[in-house]
Amino acid sequence: MFLMRFTERAYYHYTEEDVRNSYRSAVRLTFPNSHFDTAKASHMYNYYLDEYEYSEEVGFDGLMLNEHHNTPTCMGAAMNLEAAILARTTKKPKIVLLGNPLPIQENPIRMAEELAEIDLISRGRLVSGFVRGTGVESWATNTNPVYNRDRFQEAHDLIIKTWTTPGPFRWEGKHYEFRVVNPFVRPLQEPHPPVWVPGSASPETMIWAAQRHYPYVFLEADPDVVGDAKRIYADAANEVGYEPGPQNFGYLFRVHVQDTDEKAYEVGKGFLSGNAGVGRVPMPMDYMNPPGYSSIEGRRRLANINLRPDRLVGGVDNAGYDRVVQLNRIVVGSPDTVIKKLREVLSVVRPGILAVWTNDGSISHEDTMRCLRLMKDEVLPALRELGKELELPGPFDVAP
Amino acid sequence: MPADSNSQEQQIEVAGAKIHIHKRGEGAAVFSLHSIEGNLGMLPYLDALSQSASVYAPTHPGFGASDRPDWLESISDLARFYLWMLQDLGLDEVHLIGGFMGGWIAAEMAVMCPQVLGSLTLIDTAGVRPSEGEIADIFLLGDEQTASIAIGDPDLLATASEPEDPFVRLRGREMTTRLCWKPYMHDPSLIHLLPRVKVPTLVIWGENDRIIPPSAGERIAETMPNTRLEVIAGAGHLPHIEKPDEVIPLLQQHLGLAE
Repeated sequence: MFLMRFTERAYYHYTEEDVRNSYRSAVRLTFPNSHFDTAKASHMYNYYLDEYEYSEEVGFDGLMLNEHHNTPTCMGAAMNLEAAILARTTKKPKIVLLGNPLPIQENPIRMAEELAEIDLISRGRLVSGFVRGTGVESWATNTNPVYNRDRFQEAHDLIIKTWTTPGPFRWEGKHYEFRVVNPFVRPLQEPHPPVWVPGSASPETMIWAAQRHYPYVFLEADPDVVGDAKRIYADAANEVGYEPGPQNFGYLFRVHVQDTDEKAYEVGKGFLSGNAGVGRVPMPMDYMNPPGYSSIEGRRRLANINLRPDRLVGGVDNAGYDRVVQLNRIVVGSPDTVIKKLREVLSVVRPGILAVWTNDGSISHEDTMRCLRLMKDEVLPALRELGKELELPGPFDVAP
Repeated sequence: MPADSNSQEQQIEVAGAKIHIHKRGEGAAVFSLHSIEGNLGMLPYLDALSQSASVYAPTHPGFGASDRPDWLESISDLARFYLWMLQDLGLDEVHLIGGFMGGWIAAEMAVMCPQVLGSLTLIDTAGVRPSEGEIADIFLLGDEQTASIAIGDPDLLATASEPEDPFVRLRGREMTTRLCWKPYMHDPSLIHLLPRVKVPTLVIWGENDRIIPPSAGERIAETMPNTRLEVIAGAGHLPHIEKPDEVIPLLQQHLGLAE
């Protein structure tokens, strides 16, 4: 099992009232950046990077980053920059980007170059995930949401071709045109860095990933929904002639360890505090899902594919902390408790990639460091054994 | 839509796409282009014109029950498409009317092929940036707030309501996004092309339009050679719906129709 560590690098020095009093009461897109205290943020970027660097010592196989725009919930607005720093300051773990939002790129060749540099500087440790981005990414970059999926696919095809086909060549697509594709800098890994795709079980994206042997990483999904969704992926994989295994699936969720169950329960509330979680002000639907972002025609085509609804009505953010903990959607506890609960989740989801979202919201740097130390000494060794016992090979053990 | 035996709804095929269209009345051809809310059919101002004219109100490709050809992705594509429709219907001396997005389509048609027009009427039209202020971002405002600033009167808002089928409504939203997202609600070259349109043009604007400031109308009227600007006192973004008693006589006079 491939074990990686994740945080959204939240900026949390604002109040729920600040959000309620802002345009359309939205925490993303239009929440005024006058709430951003640059001195605090400068300090935070540095301790978030410290945590990632320490995660190598903890023994994680991967350091996972993500990217969002116009939001305090994730300071990774230019994720590739953080990745480039970690490429140089760490030695062993994979640098797992889940992922770069492709539709909002005006120049995918530049993206191919940045990723190639990260791969070269890290001596071949890049995992290059790609995403469509939320609707907010389209708003923030003024990218027409109607073309989101089209642009995702074309930018992907162009990047892969750029990495794998000797230049110079010409690209004349629908959304991108390049006269001379010939970036001199190519990635170290052959034929190109592994591509993984994270998401919330959108059938169209899962099928697309399965057709390309790209592992699909479920983002904090209901374990039972994951079971249904894996069948969609498997059907598409079977059609192109292979049987997926644990190495084709990842699972991301919040896991926080402290010395005692009581302490972990209290600290874990920070995951969902303020506008990062429970009690937050709901986002306007059209910010996350502007017209055309989810194509009506696509939805009709896939109308026969029905995933059962998430047991948490309103998702992790709105269901209430106790319910979320009760259903193992956030795992908090002492090392023993966490190991026991992870066994329950992993037995059902059976991922070859486990992304441990150790801290977020208002969880402090100090509590995070304690959590990481306990993971190092107790949780990760047990998880390694568990991965073997449950026979969960990762994508670097068995080719996906 | 009230049932009306004088009104016909039909499907016609243009360039392989099936297009839904309302038609009412006999006489000179009036071609009315709807805006972002979709085809509301024979609204009272169109009904009044149909007493002495042949009024056509098509549903744009990608809206309601009309197909969208895959290639049709911009307002100028749509303008070409409608010029083909006029050709197929054998219409000339056409009196073209449009509001907001519909006005933008009409203006693009006029600059492409002014010779098929008898007159042009632009009502609080998009297509040209105002010289002062900016066009309200209807996408960012969201449906509810856009509707409330378009028409202040909630009773009127109900009469100008959209199709209830959520699929139809979403489809219209998606098409509006496709057509109008960027550049937002205007074509930078349009203002430079409009001076070539010599047909009699009536620009109508609601005095209190909060979607697109009247300075856009002034800019258009200053640019086009044969144009009259009528500002409707007390009206917002939809003067033809808000103040039909004032707008209908202006239209009848402009189109040379009996009152």
